Amino acid sequence: MELVCIGLSHRTAPLVVRERLALSESRQVEVLQRLAQSPVEVLWVSTCNRVEVYLSAPDGMLARERAVSELRALGGDEALDHLYEHRGEAALIHLFRVASSLDSMVLGEAQILGQVKDSFERGQGAGAVRGELTRACAAAFGCAKRVRTETAIGRAATSMASAAVQLASKVFDGLKGKTVLVVGAGEMGELAARHLQQAGATKLFITNRTLARAEALATEVGGVARPFEELFSLLGAADVVVCSTASPVPLFTRENVGAVGKGRKGRPLFMVDLAVPRDIDPGVGTLDWVHAYDVDDIQKFVADNAAARAEEAHKAGVLVAQEVARFVKERALREGMPVLARLRQRAEAIARSEVERTLTSLGDGLTDKQRKSIEAMGRAIVNKLLHEPTSRLRAVGPEGEGNRLAGAAAELFGLLEAEMEAADAEASSLAPVPQQVATGAKR
Amino acid sequence: MSHTLVSLACHAYGIAAVAYLAYLVRQSDALAMAGRVLVGGGLVLHGVALFELLGAQSGRPVGMAQGFSTLAFLLLAIFLALDVRYRRPVIGAFLTPLAVTVLIPGLLMHGGQSPLPPGVRQPLLPLHITLALLGLAAFAVAAGVGVMYLLMERQVRAKRFGLLFSRLPSLEFLDTLNRRLVVWGFIALSITLATGAFFVASTIGWQWDGKSIATVVAWAVFAAIVNARIFAGWRGRRVALLTMAGFCLVLVSFLTSYDVTASTAAAMRIP
Repeated sequence: MELVCIGLSHRTAPLVVRERLALSESRQVEVLQRLAQSPVEVLWVSTCNRVEVYLSAPDGMLARERAVSELRALGGDEALDHLYEHRGEAALIHLFRVASSLDSMVLGEAQILGQVKDSFERGQGAGAVRGELTRACAAAFGCAKRVRTETAIGRAATSMASAAVQLASKVFDGLKGKTVLVVGAGEMGELAARHLQQAGATKLFITNRTLARAEALATEVGGVARPFEELFSLLGAADVVVCSTASPVPLFTRENVGAVGKGRKGRPLFMVDLAVPRDIDPGVGTLDWVHAYDVDDIQKFVADNAAARAEEAHKAGVLVAQEVARFVKERALREGMPVLARLRQRAEAIARSEVERTLTSLGDGLTDKQRKSIEAMGRAIVNKLLHEPTSRLRAVGPEGEGNRLAGAAAELFGLLEAEMEAADAEASSLAPVPQQVATGAKR
Repeated sequence: MSHTLVSLACHAYGIAAVAYLAYLVRQSDALAMAGRVLVGGGLVLHGVALFELLGAQSGRPVGMAQGFSTLAFLLLAIFLALDVRYRRPVIGAFLTPLAVTVLIPGLLMHGGQSPLPPGVRQPLLPLHITLALLGLAAFAVAAGVGVMYLLMERQVRAKRFGLLFSRLPSLEFLDTLNRRLVVWGFIALSITLATGAFFVASTIGWQWDGKSIATVVAWAVFAAIVNARIFAGWRGRRVALLTMAGFCLVLVSFLTSYDVTASTAAAMRIP
């Protein structure tokens, strides 16, 4: 199986091209189902800064061609000019870097990991992400977690939302006494609301097409939810507006914002558009009293601060390299030494049946806690017993001495050749890791 | 003696200007502190020199040279007060070079002073001159802040996130500071105009010469700015540009006939 990554991001494509490839969730699922025909696996990562397709396929070139024609159909020929492509280990490194927020517009921002996890779950739901990509994603999420905890990269910058707050501080002398309007109560809106609240915004209004979501967010961050119909009266009172809705057409145009301006007596308005496609028409920025910024402007701003984080990014890069090497080694072991997978499978099956037998014989008198303790004990015995042989087999690798040891293990534990082949086929089609992914990629 | 002190002060201001300009590039607290100490030290020396000089002249600066020197002193005193109050040392990068530029002619023109003619010794004169210079200094600072506003606005509009964008204070801060300075300068200018008119009317009679025209027009410009701000909600770029225009007019009024001795003596036909 070969891993291929093909896509475009804020580094290669302007907003106008990225907008065309920003698909709704249901359309993403349609595309996934078209591309992921067994044995090909597909992960479609779509954020406001990137659209990337990860393919795991026996014939990488063929899968690539199909993905490219899909991208052309969605984004037109122009989209093809902005594509980049990674294959094999380079694709793996790219996935790890993206999940670890090392390729983000705001280096180290936290949202990207959640966005990649969402894409992963969508792919799993659509049946497009299976064994190989599941394992790769699990390792990428584990890597992202290491980068977050072991480097200061996440502390330096948290999100596009925090960059937006920093930009607002160049127009206003702090947000104290200012009225802030958050349009769109999605993930980005929530982050923006939190940052603005922390920055000292006095009045925080949140509006959303579904009022209930605005109300939920308002309760959480201490703002006031208002119906979407009041958008323009709220705009009249606002000093800062942050919008991040999924609206396919701009909410704010030069005309409708200009009409609000008459009552403001020249009071400046700072507008940040975190949405793709844009919520604010570029014409709005030509109004004398409006300062409007879109995601590309924020990227420019953030790029300027990037130097300060270069050192942490370097440390994070080393971690990514380690994690990729580890994943590649494990994959080689998995592929080269099926005896390990079989050994574990056999031991786990024995433990499971023994635990079940014990639980049955003890009857219904046990509490939940006691049942869980017995189950945990079964798993612990397997892990402790297999730890030593597993690490020794891994240490020597699949060749030479490893081959001899693996043969001895197969012999000793009665893992017959036929069984091993069956296990091998099973291991490559069934993913042993989805549970780990769902619980935050524990290593 | 006083000339030496002013010269020393000028050197201190010059080094402070370099420190503040360096601060603009490398935002180090040590540079800001050095600038503050140098300006403070320079002001003490300069203040002693002016006290000595003006004490001998019944509290009024005589001649263009002393006018420039007093103006630079007041300008930096206002700056230091702002720096202590708002802690925005970056303003120093714009105002200290301006103050040095104002002071240098004051130092070079040294020696051209003559005693005041007896007829000019009005009790209102020291108040008139001090307020005129204070107003001029406030407008100079306001104009400097206006330049900063225009620069910052350009960066914000063009989305150029370079050195100036990261160093300059927010647009709102600069606009508010401009408003306060213009209001104080306007009050000082109004009293200057009133005392000047009274003084001239009571001695030689009102005359529409270059100085009085420039002063009245400048007063009208600042009156318009203050009104537009309060009643029409004007702010930002327009006001910054108007402030700079108003400052130029006040400067013209200062340069054309600041020399009270000469102009009044001429008007009073005192040889």
